[in-house]
Amino acid sequence: MRTLVFIPAWNEEDSIAAVIAGVRASIAGADLLVIDDGSADTTAARAREAGALVASLPFNQGLGAALQTGYLHALREGYEACAHLDADGQHPPAEVVRLLDEIYADRADLVIGSRYRDPGKAESDDYKPTISRRIGIGVFRFFLTLATRQRFTDTTSGMRAANRRVMAMFSEQYSPDFAEIESLQLAVREGLRVEEVPVRMLERAGGSSFLTPLRSAFFIFKGLIVLLVGQFRPRHIGASEQ
Amino acid sequence: MSMLALAASQSPKVHLTSQTRIIAAVLALAFMALVLELIRRNRLQERFSVVWFVAGLGMLVGAAFPGLLSLVADAMGVRDTNVALFSIVLLFLLGLALNFSVTMSRQATQITRLAQEQALEKAREQANSDENGSEAKRERLES
Repeated sequence: MRTLVFIPAWNEEDSIAAVIAGVRASIAGADLLVIDDGSADTTAARAREAGALVASLPFNQGLGAALQTGYLHALREGYEACAHLDADGQHPPAEVVRLLDEIYADRADLVIGSRYRDPGKAESDDYKPTISRRIGIGVFRFFLTLATRQRFTDTTSGMRAANRRVMAMFSEQYSPDFAEIESLQLAVREGLRVEEVPVRMLERAGGSSFLTPLRSAFFIFKGLIVLLVGQFRPRHIGASEQ
Repeated sequence: MSMLALAASQSPKVHLTSQTRIIAAVLALAFMALVLELIRRNRLQERFSVVWFVAGLGMLVGAAFPGLLSLVADAMGVRDTNVALFSIVLLFLLGLALNFSVTMSRQATQITRLAQEQALEKAREQANSDENGSEAKRERLES
């Protein structure tokens, strides 16, 4: 199956080359696209040097817009499966293969890589979040599960794989503000099969989390509003491809 | 405005002195002139000007026929004409602000799509040049 792996990257010049090399080594036969989200550093140049195709957004648009660019490319170029992972080195490319396998076997339309093996806990062997983050994770888990009536553990995971039905939907509608959570809600509402696969993730290679307690609170509040509004969005089943 | 408020608060009927009415009319005309000037200098597109022109006209009519305001207030069931005036203006501005947010959201979506199309176009160019490059290399090796 023709597969596209895309990597949204914003100021990740230190890690991008290693991630590209990792994807090349682990995911055989997949085409690679780096979406440079208006980076101010040399991310795009490094990605090109590493031999990747680079789509450079002219200015920073946010993760949602960057991911949508990838889905749009995959849809237009006729890829049958696509996957994306973070550019900061947290996501081992070998684990992405396991997500893609679910797509190849047609067991799901959208597969999320979850860092939690035990769905009851907000931490795992290789992930120890701060308290404010843990609260956020718990809140989103609870409300997303409530909204979709499906159990999700890692609501903000940036490691996903998808088929053409999802490409068609996400390239049309993908929230720029709350991409990860709203996209899950949307996919379930549109009747797509969404599945979580536990994966191994690494500590971020560089940089620190942008969340302070106040920002976390605002982030959670905004997320809840988005989820609430999302429940009243019109459904258009059958509008997507296939 | 403060004179208007004072005059109206003393009695339920509107008592505007001719001085206030002239000031209001001059302000309304100056406002409409400003709108015209902005259009003339291409700082404001015509389609956004209509609502501001109507607002200016409303101000002018209010200045010319102050009795209209008390009619409107009566129709709204408001005893104080000031309250009627302020709530009408407030609702108008609220609606306008919402309208601008809607316009801005639509434009933000359009800008995002434009950026995405441009980025993908560049990537396609890169793919083509990579292909040509490797083909040229192969040809060179074969010859």
